[in-house]
Amino acid sequence: METKNRPDSILLTAPADKNQSCMSRRDFTKKAAGISAVSVFALMSLPELAAAWMNNEIMSRDDMDDGLKCIIKTYSTTEPYPLKFNEGLVRQHLRTLDFAVRKGVDKENAEHFVSVLGPVMERHIKPAVAKLGKGIFLWGIFERTGCSYQLYEHINITEGERTFACPYKRTLEYHNKEVGTYSIKWEDMCGKWCSPIWNGFAKVAGVELKIEPGETCKVSVV
Amino acid sequence: MEILNRRDFAKKALGGGGLLTLLTAFNLPGVASAFSGPEIVVPTNKFLNRPDLGDALKSLYMTYDSTTPYPHKFNETISKHQLRALEFFVSKNLDKEYAEHYVATMKPVLLKIKEAVEKEKNPEKALIALFDDNPCAFQLFDHINVKPGERSFPCPYKGKLQDCKYWLGTFKAIEWKDVCDRWCIPTWNGFAETLGIKIKVQPSDVCKVKLA
Repeated sequence: METKNRPDSILLTAPADKNQSCMSRRDFTKKAAGISAVSVFALMSLPELAAAWMNNEIMSRDDMDDGLKCIIKTYSTTEPYPLKFNEGLVRQHLRTLDFAVRKGVDKENAEHFVSVLGPVMERHIKPAVAKLGKGIFLWGIFERTGCSYQLYEHINITEGERTFACPYKRTLEYHNKEVGTYSIKWEDMCGKWCSPIWNGFAKVAGVELKIEPGETCKVSVV
Repeated sequence: MEILNRRDFAKKALGGGGLLTLLTAFNLPGVASAFSGPEIVVPTNKFLNRPDLGDALKSLYMTYDSTTPYPHKFNETISKHQLRALEFFVSKNLDKEYAEHYVATMKPVLLKIKEAVEKEKNPEKALIALFDDNPCAFQLFDHINVKPGERSFPCPYKGKLQDCKYWLGTFKAIEWKDVCDRWCIPTWNGFAETLGIKIKVQPSDVCKVKLA
């Protein structure tokens, strides 16, 4: 695992418009589905998946003010380090894993997460994989789900592969240095949380993954 | 219709736009900032200086564009993951220790806040630290209503737990009351105790936390 400490690494993710590998969800789905309209239609013919896909309803939302205020509040906070939209979630994951590790239930904790989200995998992702191929699995567990796009700052998409800056490293290192009350190290997040849950989801969907943890984490289907 | 930019408007609004008038206006600090152009505001505004807003806005867009099976909000994942963790630790009979662990891991931070609260004899500062300025709170609660000695906010867990139970069917160990009794109240009371303040929690659809 890459362990070089670059506190600003999270800020260095390439903006989407300058990154050739970045696609919109719609574009990606087309690619993942083999580009042909027939394949896209096949994806949409999975009713539950299509309904949850891209519904362009954002302009009809009348409750966005709280979300925007939260973004402004978050990004106006730059001390002790610049906060990001995923800060609360990252802290929640770190704290929960720290407790699970102390209690020796980290393996069960990851398995529990996979089991409570199992129905989503069974209902949506597994049939999609069967119909469209294993590449769609990554779409299902990364850019498609709020659990990922509210956690990873920027997901780089290439066929059969996703990369993103590790959201945990900076916050955990700050906490361990300045507060000092966690027993976990960065490697624990990879080994006792991220890898087990991704592999758990992959198992449900009948897919095999290669995970390369690092400051920029890489997950690919094999 | 005549179109004015902000600077021209400021001059006109001040009645003639003489330099002296503008100088007078700029001498009032509060007023001056209201008349400041981007060349003054941008370099000092933390939000406007963030180079990473694009990803935040994309995440926000994706969140609010997800309206099925129910409309997602910015706190979708943090509330869901908190419920998931509580569900797990309740099923392992570890929920009390889980809440205590949160308080214990925050202790060094809370003790620093306690010092400031005591130094200024201002318990309101404790509420500010726990809610208004805490990303774990302002990224979790839809909006926090601030009154002296009191914070109230819509419960982020009630609807989310119903969603999880309905759409996933795998949340079986906890009910809404458990979230109040086994998570929110123990952690807030633990924080308050460490901070040296007393609070009263009134859980409801709109939860209220008051200085006691």
